[in-house]
Amino acid sequence: MEVPPQMAVPESLSEDQSEAELMRQVAAGEIGGLEALYDRYHAMAYALALRITTETGLAEDVVQDSFLGVWRNAGRYAEARGTVRSWLLAIVRHRAIDAMRRQRASVALGDESEEVLPANLTLPDIWPEVAGRLDGERVRAAIQTLPPAQRDAIELAYFDGLTQREIAARTGAPLGTVKSRMRLGLVSLREQLIGQYEEVMPSGLPANGKRRMA
Amino acid sequence: MAMTCDRVRELAPGFVLGALDIEEMIAVQDHLDGCAETHPEMDELGGVVPYIAQSLTPVEPPAWLRESVIAAAKADSLARRRVGKGAEHRIPAHAPAAAAAATVAATAVVTPEASFAPEPATGLELAPVIPLRSRIWARRGRIATWATRAAAALLVVSLGSYAYVVQNDLKNAQHQAPPWVNVIGPETRQAPLAPTNAASKAGGLAVLQQTGHLYVAVNHLDATAGDQVYMVWVTAETGDVSRVGSFTIDSSGWAQVEFDRVPTSPNLWLFICLEPNGGVTRPTGPIILSGTLSA
Repeated sequence: MEVPPQMAVPESLSEDQSEAELMRQVAAGEIGGLEALYDRYHAMAYALALRITTETGLAEDVVQDSFLGVWRNAGRYAEARGTVRSWLLAIVRHRAIDAMRRQRASVALGDESEEVLPANLTLPDIWPEVAGRLDGERVRAAIQTLPPAQRDAIELAYFDGLTQREIAARTGAPLGTVKSRMRLGLVSLREQLIGQYEEVMPSGLPANGKRRMA
Repeated sequence: MAMTCDRVRELAPGFVLGALDIEEMIAVQDHLDGCAETHPEMDELGGVVPYIAQSLTPVEPPAWLRESVIAAAKADSLARRRVGKGAEHRIPAHAPAAAAAATVAATAVVTPEASFAPEPATGLELAPVIPLRSRIWARRGRIATWATRAAAALLVVSLGSYAYVVQNDLKNAQHQAPPWVNVIGPETRQAPLAPTNAASKAGGLAVLQQTGHLYVAVNHLDATAGDQVYMVWVTAETGDVSRVGSFTIDSSGWAQVEFDRVPTSPNLWLFICLEPNGGVTRPTGPIILSGTLSA
């Protein structure tokens, strides 16, 4: 499998602003905006779809479906809630896991019998500037610092779409242990990412990237 | 299930990863929607989640996927415009958030990130194709088919110019049995299929029964070659594209096909694309014929 060079990520706030403009173009139905968006993020989107589905054909469908979803819903993208990349990858992840679940259940894609998604389950991308400064290597390094059990718990949830209960059943760990691993893993990963960010940007964290933790 | 703030904080890691049971996911969201207190843990833990994907090494998809994505987007826009002729005041293309929200149908995976961009349900529906090809060709000797006669009936009623080609066939069909009466009725929807290329002589007719059984007859289509197929697609008002099924055309340029379990949404736009093979899951080729099956 060909592995391309590291995908370009936004390098600055002005780049983020240009992304917002890109999304405005897509929302206005300008096909050039979608082309630019695809050119920027297709490799990361495909990598995520492939990681989740493990099947090239299904991953291709997911990527196409996801960009089509962006095309249809670009007007709903809220810049204040996160980067375009996070938004797109969330869609890819969602569709990929959805496709896998449907496949496992032998239900055709497109079946609409599943539960309705609750509205306003929004998650901000709290460090858009951090995202622009941390390349894949740094993020990978941060994740690799996690104890394997914590990393597995997070990855089984994120990439395999398993619930905590399903992870407990698969790993044989008590449910409470899975919950603890997930929490500790996320907290630790956050600290690691902040540390990586501070290496890149010694001037400090964005205002909303405080170390405070509940 | 009412939840306390402490319980929500306890569930936050699972919530931001979409790893709670569905009832818990909904209960947490309900709490967040109505809670006067801030829940910074959601931002703090949830802000990490998008970066998990960034740990992956990017992988280049096949080059054709780009063209496929763009073609699908163009077809989507076109479908919205076509379907929108009857519905544009209800669902404008690229509707603003509030209107678009009304079109959200369903999703299967409840994750916070996914809901960041609630979307219409995925559009790919595979309508099982009744294996009628042999039956089709066995019946080809019969010039008068349900389609030509149905087209004749439609022509008489109001749809004349659309079915110009089929009308020509009618001249050869006058002496045949009238099976079309069994197809077209008060509970069916019909659509003359007009060519996208105004210079083309291609034409056809689609009849959709309430049961989701679809009849399509076409004429004057270019013969398919190699793996090429004509693929029938339908698009509902939501813009979701469903693949109905495919057929091939020989040198006669004529075919009659039937499909089952076709979506029966109001204002379906049906279009036929020439595709490189039968494996496509999204329209990629040029639209040859199209028509609207209005409720």
